[in-house]
Amino acid sequence: MILTTLDSVTADAFAEHTGWAPKPEGLCRGEVCVPAPGSLRPDGTVDVAVAAQRLGMPVVRDAQHDVWAVGPATLGGRALATASAADPELITRDGNPFRLSALHGRKVLLVAWASY
Amino acid sequence: MVTVALDVEPTHTHKWIDAAAPTHPSLIDTMHVTDELFGFINIPMALWIDETGTIVRPAEGASIERSPLRDMEIPEGLPERMDRMFREVKAIPDVSDDYRAAIVDWAQHGAESRFVLSPDEVIARSQPRGDDEARAAACFELGEHLRRTVAPEAAVPWWREAHRLYPANWTYKRQAWTLVTTPEGAEDNDLMQGPNDVYEGNWLDDVIASGGGAAYTVVPQL
Repeated sequence: MILTTLDSVTADAFAEHTGWAPKPEGLCRGEVCVPAPGSLRPDGTVDVAVAAQRLGMPVVRDAQHDVWAVGPATLGGRALATASAADPELITRDGNPFRLSALHGRKVLLVAWASY
Repeated sequence: MVTVALDVEPTHTHKWIDAAAPTHPSLIDTMHVTDELFGFINIPMALWIDETGTIVRPAEGASIERSPLRDMEIPEGLPERMDRMFREVKAIPDVSDDYRAAIVDWAQHGAESRFVLSPDEVIARSQPRGDDEARAAACFELGEHLRRTVAPEAAVPWWREAHRLYPANWTYKRQAWTLVTTPEGAEDNDLMQGPNDVYEGNWLDDVIASGGGAAYTVVPQL
């Protein structure tokens, strides 16, 4: 997740980019919720530093260009903290947005490839 | 089936997608976020998601057809590095027949398929992720953001760091290498990804250092 500030990220944006939804009970993904007091502010924004610390997410800054990147959670020491599939917005060949959730109700074999 | 191309430049994928003329969703992941979200570390890899949106097999090396390269005789007189590349590619484990059969079994039997894993097994079999691996993802993403918004060379220090932190992630490496080893104006991305002046590694030397072709892929545990 690329950010220009750590102070004004909405809960929706945080969930969209990280797969972790900030809720009153904590930071949640699938059936997993991690208590994170202070991560969700009353105005609906996320304290990224608090959330990242609770989820074990590294926060990296490029000082020259004043931009941040927040890495994935490290809970449990595995790439997946839950078997509930994330639902990122990707693009089609024609540049249109697409989410895997559009295929709910069907089995999905997600195959990664590349031009290299 | 859904395919996702881990390519920072969507145009690099168009020739291949158009040639395949797929009837399935053919997606592009320009930031390699599916590495973070699903555990891809090389290509080709695949994971299985059931009708409820639950992953029932984590990301594993995925082939359904044996590559002709495996059975090809290595021509005599090749340059040393090219000869060695062929040998390492031929050493990559091939379980394509078994993996294809597993997919078919899942298609036919769904949740009753013996190849479907429990959520705990899916998590346990997903790729390891410690702070270094997570930091590498952040560095790769930061590099790609800067490559697009500032200049190609702005990505280099961050991608070098990503490679250092997570040497087992081949998409971070192959993506970076191909961008500097592909001649300007070339129709296709360079697949050799040889020694270059920008990054410390290259395909062949890194494969050898990591244990050779035999250790290059995440072999499905079927």
